[in-house]
Amino acid sequence: MAEIAEQSPSRISARRSGWGELFRKEDWWAIWIGLGLVAAAIALFANGSSIKWLAVAPQKWPHLADAAAQLRAHGTQYAALFLLWAVALGLGTAALGIKLSRFLPAFLALYVAAGAIYFLGLWDQAAHYNLEPPLVALGLGLLISNTVGTPRWLEPGLRVEFYIKTGIVLLGAGLPLTLIAWAGPVAIVQAAIVSLVTFGVIYVAAVRLGLDRRLAATLGTGGAVCGVSGAIAIGGAVGAKKEQVSVAISLVVVWAIVMIFVLPLVARSLHLPTGVAGAWIGTSEFADAAGLAAAQTYGGYAGNVPGITGNADAAVSAFTLMKVIGRDVWIGVWAFVLSLIATTRWERTGVHSKTDAGEIWRRFPKFVLGFLIASAVITLVSKGYDYATYKKEVLPGLVAPLQSLRTWAFTFAFLSIGLTTKFREFVSVGARPFYAFTIGVAVNVLLGFVLSTQVFNEFWSRLGQ
Amino acid sequence: MKSHGERSCAGCRHFNGRPLDIEAAMPGLASLSSAFAAVRSDDGICAEHDRYVSASSVCAAYASPA
Repeated sequence: MAEIAEQSPSRISARRSGWGELFRKEDWWAIWIGLGLVAAAIALFANGSSIKWLAVAPQKWPHLADAAAQLRAHGTQYAALFLLWAVALGLGTAALGIKLSRFLPAFLALYVAAGAIYFLGLWDQAAHYNLEPPLVALGLGLLISNTVGTPRWLEPGLRVEFYIKTGIVLLGAGLPLTLIAWAGPVAIVQAAIVSLVTFGVIYVAAVRLGLDRRLAATLGTGGAVCGVSGAIAIGGAVGAKKEQVSVAISLVVVWAIVMIFVLPLVARSLHLPTGVAGAWIGTSEFADAAGLAAAQTYGGYAGNVPGITGNADAAVSAFTLMKVIGRDVWIGVWAFVLSLIATTRWERTGVHSKTDAGEIWRRFPKFVLGFLIASAVITLVSKGYDYATYKKEVLPGLVAPLQSLRTWAFTFAFLSIGLTTKFREFVSVGARPFYAFTIGVAVNVLLGFVLSTQVFNEFWSRLGQ
Repeated sequence: MKSHGERSCAGCRHFNGRPLDIEAAMPGLASLSSAFAAVRSDDGICAEHDRYVSASSVCAAYASPA
């Protein structure tokens, strides 16, 4: 990674506010790419065509020969889709400082591997053998990175957050704005309860165990708000020690990966409806990418595992409402408040933070705006059609291809999670941070379960009907 | 005499806010997040204090870039 870093333009990142921000943060690039694809899909649809030729996706296949036949029949489309992603994502990563000549070979390998996993997930026996694409992608990536090691030339192509944010913007195209308005307030209430309680538990436990308050706050927001992103946002806002941020990151990543496997497994054994399971995962997972892997896995059980009601998309929709709308968007407020407390109440560090309310916007996860705009635009376009025409024309010609592009983006991300997670490189976290964070994890998971399956059960169940 | 803006961490020799360097210094960061994320704002690593600080912070150990 350092080898790539040496080629970045400058050593010091000065505060450059204004328009420059629109091209040097991946949140904005996810918006440009996601909304660009939505705009192209709408333009083609309005002219009687569709983006579906380009947004190619594997179909169910019973025998290997059928999969090979699909590949032969649609080979040109898969090549065109690679070009589309390579240009769009390559432009974005180049603007972020990663050389295009290093990104492209890495992305080609990622695209081929993601395609193979996408195909595998559509084998008609995949559910029988538990070959859910997110888990296969994650498991394969973890196996490679923690045994033979991820090749260095592959690293420039492994941009988990860039892919997941682009996918979330595209996800907005499949979620009507009316649904977000209907479910958003409940998601915010549920997420607020869990976030405040989880943060409180981790913070108090950490302080009682004698840990520094800045570490306690970094651990708390990592567990309660938005995982690794929460940890780095609060670590910077309160001026935590570099090692403290690393400790929080290590704990979040390990627990988030454990939860990718555990939450869908427990929900499956309880036959939770897809909407309810998605809400629980959205409440109790720590990071967007990890949670989407778990939610998409669970959505895949719909129609394949007896006793699980609801449709496949409900798990991802409920997760996104809970995690993105309910938790992620508040990170700026957490940063502002904790920075203020750190400056005025906690032990001085020698570095004086200049807190102001602008912190709330500066740290706002901007990709959420793209998600909302995509939802609003598709809702507007669909408004002129009755339900029968929507099902016959708008869904297959406009919405479904965008959902297929979303699945590609998510698969790139799931594969990248595993390939970038090298447990041996994690810092030693120590017993006390581990205990404090783990107590919070337990409370978070139990409280999220009770709220999703008892208090708001009826509400989340309806989401999948 | 420099203003606070000029003397903030963003302009200090000890401060490194380059995203790829931050990801290299904090294993796991790129696995489930990113140093290019908006939530990071312009924070960076202070080599003098060994802290992860906001670019707008100030301190007595400020040093002009070489």
